[in-house]
Amino acid sequence: MIDARPAVEQVQAAFTQAITEVCAVHGVPMLRVKKQDLPTIAHFLHTNPGLRGSLSLLWAVDHRPREARYELCYLFTLAERKDWLLLATDLYGDEREFPSITPHLHAAKWYEREIRDLFGLIPVGHPDLRRLVRHEHWPKGSHPLKKDFPWDRVLGRVQGEYAFRKIHGEGVFEVPVGPIHAGIIEPGHFRFSVAGEPIMQLEVRHFWTHRGVEKLFEQQRLTEAVPLSERVSGDTSVGHSLAYCQAVETLQGVEVSPRARYLRTLFLELERLHNHIGDVGAICNDTAYALAHAHCGRMKEQLMQLNDRLTGSRFLRGVNCVGGVALDLSGLQLAQVEVELNTLEQDFSAIEKIVFANASLTERLENTGILTEGIAWDHAVIGVVGRASGIDRDLRRDRPFAAYDVLQPKVALYRYGDVRARMRVRLDEIHESIRLIREVRRGLPLGRLVTRPMHEAQSGVWALSAVEGWRGEILYVVMVGEAGRIHRCKVRDPSFVNWPAIQWAALGNIVPDFPLINKSFNLSYAGNDL
Amino acid sequence: MFRILKKSLQTGVVTGQHPAGGAPSEPVSQDAIEKAKPFRRSMTIREVDTGSCNACEMEMNALANPVYDVERFGVHIAASPRHADALVVTGPVTVNMERALKDVYKATPDPKIVIAVGDCAVTCGMFKGSYAVTGPVDRHIPVDVRIPGCPPRPAEILAVLAKLRQDDPDADT
Ligand code: SF4
Repeated sequence: MIDARPAVEQVQAAFTQAITEVCAVHGVPMLRVKKQDLPTIAHFLHTNPGLRGSLSLLWAVDHRPREARYELCYLFTLAERKDWLLLATDLYGDEREFPSITPHLHAAKWYEREIRDLFGLIPVGHPDLRRLVRHEHWPKGSHPLKKDFPWDRVLGRVQGEYAFRKIHGEGVFEVPVGPIHAGIIEPGHFRFSVAGEPIMQLEVRHFWTHRGVEKLFEQQRLTEAVPLSERVSGDTSVGHSLAYCQAVETLQGVEVSPRARYLRTLFLELERLHNHIGDVGAICNDTAYALAHAHCGRMKEQLMQLNDRLTGSRFLRGVNCVGGVALDLSGLQLAQVEVELNTLEQDFSAIEKIVFANASLTERLENTGILTEGIAWDHAVIGVVGRASGIDRDLRRDRPFAAYDVLQPKVALYRYGDVRARMRVRLDEIHESIRLIREVRRGLPLGRLVTRPMHEAQSGVWALSAVEGWRGEILYVVMVGEAGRIHRCKVRDPSFVNWPAIQWAALGNIVPDFPLINKSFNLSYAGNDL
Repeated sequence: MFRILKKSLQTGVVTGQHPAGGAPSEPVSQDAIEKAKPFRRSMTIREVDTGSCNACEMEMNALANPVYDVERFGVHIAASPRHADALVVTGPVTVNMERALKDVYKATPDPKIVIAVGDCAVTCGMFKGSYAVTGPVDRHIPVDVRIPGCPPRPAEILAVLAKLRQDDPDADT
């Protein structure tokens, strides 16, 4: 029997002894628990059939200098109800250890390693405590998100080597790829273990582009960090800046005007559109179908030029600001957008037909790089990749932001989990984006663009915000510090969650198909590495 | 087949359909033009990302699309630094990428030129001062050409490349 009580009550009833506080942070229920009980409660949330919680975010906060306390927060999305639930626990004084939940939840694996690297807190019981963010040449004891670590410290360099997982056996050899790749793409390292052609194991070694983004946020004022958020992952400028702005707006009690909400939707969809079209072309290119790549490249360029004409930035930078949007579009401009998108849609549909009439192309896509629903669920995979593997999640529908509560997007969902499915999700979303932009034009209300804050953001308070960017869920946690500064800003690009999953999708495929699989995921390195 | 032909005919030639790049915001030095002389008719580029946000890469990629079609000027993108005449570097040079950048520079045969693309590569941009950043690029390897912008538009990059071909009688600027 499925328990219908609110999730909080269920957990409370099951773990009366473990819970020290029940509260809500800006509408999200939060349970503070004793740290030794974390693994069991997390396991309960994850496996209880009426809850089916998947770990959406795990972050730490160093509360110094205000108090000598580290706080760990676990955000669960309850699949059965699309609700959020937070667990929190504290480490006081010199405590450095907390129990790892990774043995129960795969999805926590990278988060806990990240916390260990950036805060020096140790997840006890974690099966893999190699360094993640800090490469081996970082000196021991450098944990940059600790408050006593200066943001501009020169790191220095020591000797050290990452121990890749080894497979031994006759004829097994390793293929190292990266960090610098053949194409014009970001740096990352892939280590394949193969015997003959099929991949037996893939290990991803990333964080080459770690720039210290979260620490840089802490040097900024709350209202001035939007440009930085646009540069976390350049291809998702709107998604990231929107998530950041929403968090700050919650902190300041700002109710964004309907017009600004609609315009934000429009820009977010424009961003989705040019990226998805580029990806469809790139997937075709990796099957050596240059024709479709050329056409998609042309259409993507057309969209970027459109962005430039509308906003002065090909990447739509500078459109979001705290409280609303920084620029308006006239009726004439909107009409032009619609005309351009109408022709683009026809144009694109013709390419779609050409692509799917080409058996030698579709053959490469089918059954390549399968990510099963089970593995996707275990790793809490999200976004395009998740929806291609049967994970029915889209924040635009589940936790509507901007104008999505009115516009009601249709969510694409496929189950095969292969490159074809990921391509299909993108194709569906391209048409849906165009439809949504038309709807925006039709329904765009009048009103002001920027709403002034109701009150100053209170120091010590934090807020969570979520945006469905073109790759998937972008999450921001922003905590206010002294004098309007940022105390902590946790940035979570969907890539951070989906990268570990690619290690599974590649298994059994041949190495030459990996670029294709990788393209079909198209994850960000910059957004992952921060 | 018929469908493909029809589409190609309908589409026509899109090359060059972009707004003009304007004059480079940072002038290309005479030294750089001199140094690029051997590559006037054909230049092979290797792109290295040393911690960029990916927008600069996307603009470099855009150069290869049918609209900018940089190949028509004899500019190719190589898969290995060993085939390259020019290194294009984007990003502020993170601590983790510093070694790789130096290795790539060494692996590129002489003569070569280095082009820093984007504010990050030129000055570290927004990431200046961070514990994780050791750039800008010219702290680690000699830079010949700088193309500021966040990111510079493809047409601007194209304009700089045209400048480097300057005394080629066939080059259109
Ligand atoms: S210069 Fe701007 S666009 Fe280029 S990598 Fe840096 S932040 Fe990104």
